[in-house]
Amino acid sequence: MTETIVITSGKGGVGKTTTSASLATGLAQRGHKTAVIDFDVGLRNLDLIMGCERRVVYDFVNVIQNEATLKQALIRDKRHDNLYVLAASQTRDKDALTQEGVGRVLDELKQDGFDYIVCDSPAGIEKGAHLAMYFSDRAVVVVNPEVSSVRDSDRILGLLSSKTQRAEKGQGGGTQHLLLTRYNPVRVEAGEMMSVGDVEEILGIPVLGVIPESENVLAASNSGVPVIHDAGSIAGQAYADAVARLLGEDVAMRFLDAPKKGFFKRMFGT
Amino acid sequence: MSARPSGAGAEILEAADLRFGQVGIANVRVRSSDPAALRAAIEVRVREAPALFERAPVVVDLSFLSPQPGDDAVRALLDAVRGAGMLPVGLAYGDDATDGLSRRLGLPLIAKFRAQYERTERAASNDEAAPRVAASAQPAPSAPAGPVTALQHHQPVRTGQQVYAQGCDLVVVGAVANGAEVLADGNIHVYGALRGRAFAGALGDKGARIFCGEFRAEIVSIAGHYRVFEELPKEFAGKAVQIRLEQDKLQITRL
Repeated sequence: MTETIVITSGKGGVGKTTTSASLATGLAQRGHKTAVIDFDVGLRNLDLIMGCERRVVYDFVNVIQNEATLKQALIRDKRHDNLYVLAASQTRDKDALTQEGVGRVLDELKQDGFDYIVCDSPAGIEKGAHLAMYFSDRAVVVVNPEVSSVRDSDRILGLLSSKTQRAEKGQGGGTQHLLLTRYNPVRVEAGEMMSVGDVEEILGIPVLGVIPESENVLAASNSGVPVIHDAGSIAGQAYADAVARLLGEDVAMRFLDAPKKGFFKRMFGT
Repeated sequence: MSARPSGAGAEILEAADLRFGQVGIANVRVRSSDPAALRAAIEVRVREAPALFERAPVVVDLSFLSPQPGDDAVRALLDAVRGAGMLPVGLAYGDDATDGLSRRLGLPLIAKFRAQYERTERAASNDEAAPRVAASAQPAPSAPAGPVTALQHHQPVRTGQQVYAQGCDLVVVGAVANGAEVLADGNIHVYGALRGRAFAGALGDKGARIFCGEFRAEIVSIAGHYRVFEELPKEFAGKAVQIRLEQDKLQITRL
């Protein structure tokens, strides 16, 4: 039984691709055969974050337009042989994606025995985002703890419960999860950033994970290694926790509180 | 929206533009073929709510009269409606006889109302009254067959979504997000937080009210009287409140 998970947000730059890369890697680490697909045709990034940009020969659009087989286009991850990347095309635009074509590729992945298909949605609510969410069984809505991101996520949640194949068939909107990224407990305590509770209350859906703001994320992205591989970083650990919760495990939230005052005084020497 | 047929020259078309809009229109269901009785019944309604009904355009529904009266009898009924202060602008779609009648009287047939009375009849006959759209905008106590229902919305109303309860109350079990709109011809009940916009009494019912479990609205409006909340009044922010219209002023009170 294959499960299709869309990683979406509405707003750009909140960490969808970082999250797609880490969640897909985490699922593969747990032994599940996983494909991660970049729906951001024209602005492909997933291959960079996954560190396979030099191995992209055929892409998602080639498969949809029958210029290549799925087998040719799937790129096997260097570290996990049960993890595959389907890159977006850099040279086309989003109109190259069709509902029929996307459905066909997803069906083929299901027949190939994939356990999870992770769809990395582009920002916005246009065609690419629509097609990324259309066939999904579950959605992870990535949100930063600030008002415009929360507002856009609310819009996306509305679309998820009305504009997906499940919703059109009357099966409900599927499971929806929130994933907070760039969370900075110190700024939350200072009242400069919305808290997990604030965001959860406004959007009204359960939180899958909270990824603390960490310099390791940028470093990981630049080196093409998903941050979940960096087990020493709090962001990597938080993503591993989120994967566990995605698989139904009950894992306590971590990294929500600012470090103790004593530690801070030592740091800044008041 | 405007419609411009392509074949004709631009200078010919300049004399007129065609634009389409949506208007709310009341439906007079004629239940008596006696012009005097009809006139008396309508006069009461116009006296009760002159702002709403005086010179109001109405569609006349003859489908409750059987057999359908002759041309002269219908002319007398239309005169009675005019005499009472309302302006008949069309006939509700009925059968072939109504079609012929409308041509002879030079009045349009308004097809929209046919579905409505059919639905009401069905609801009355098998007691399955759960229409999304309740009876017409006509507040006549005798008119609706069956209870006036409310539109229930069991999901949160998300940013960018709009929910309209036509001809009835709206009940939202959940929150109305910033940038979302809820509208009702009747009252609006929001059991979660109202962070977006709420328009009650959308057709002009000044008795409509808005109730919410947690008040954080951007805009509220009752019968067109609206208030924008750039900043929430401290005494009401986050509280359970009701909003009503009193002497054309919006009043907010804690529940």
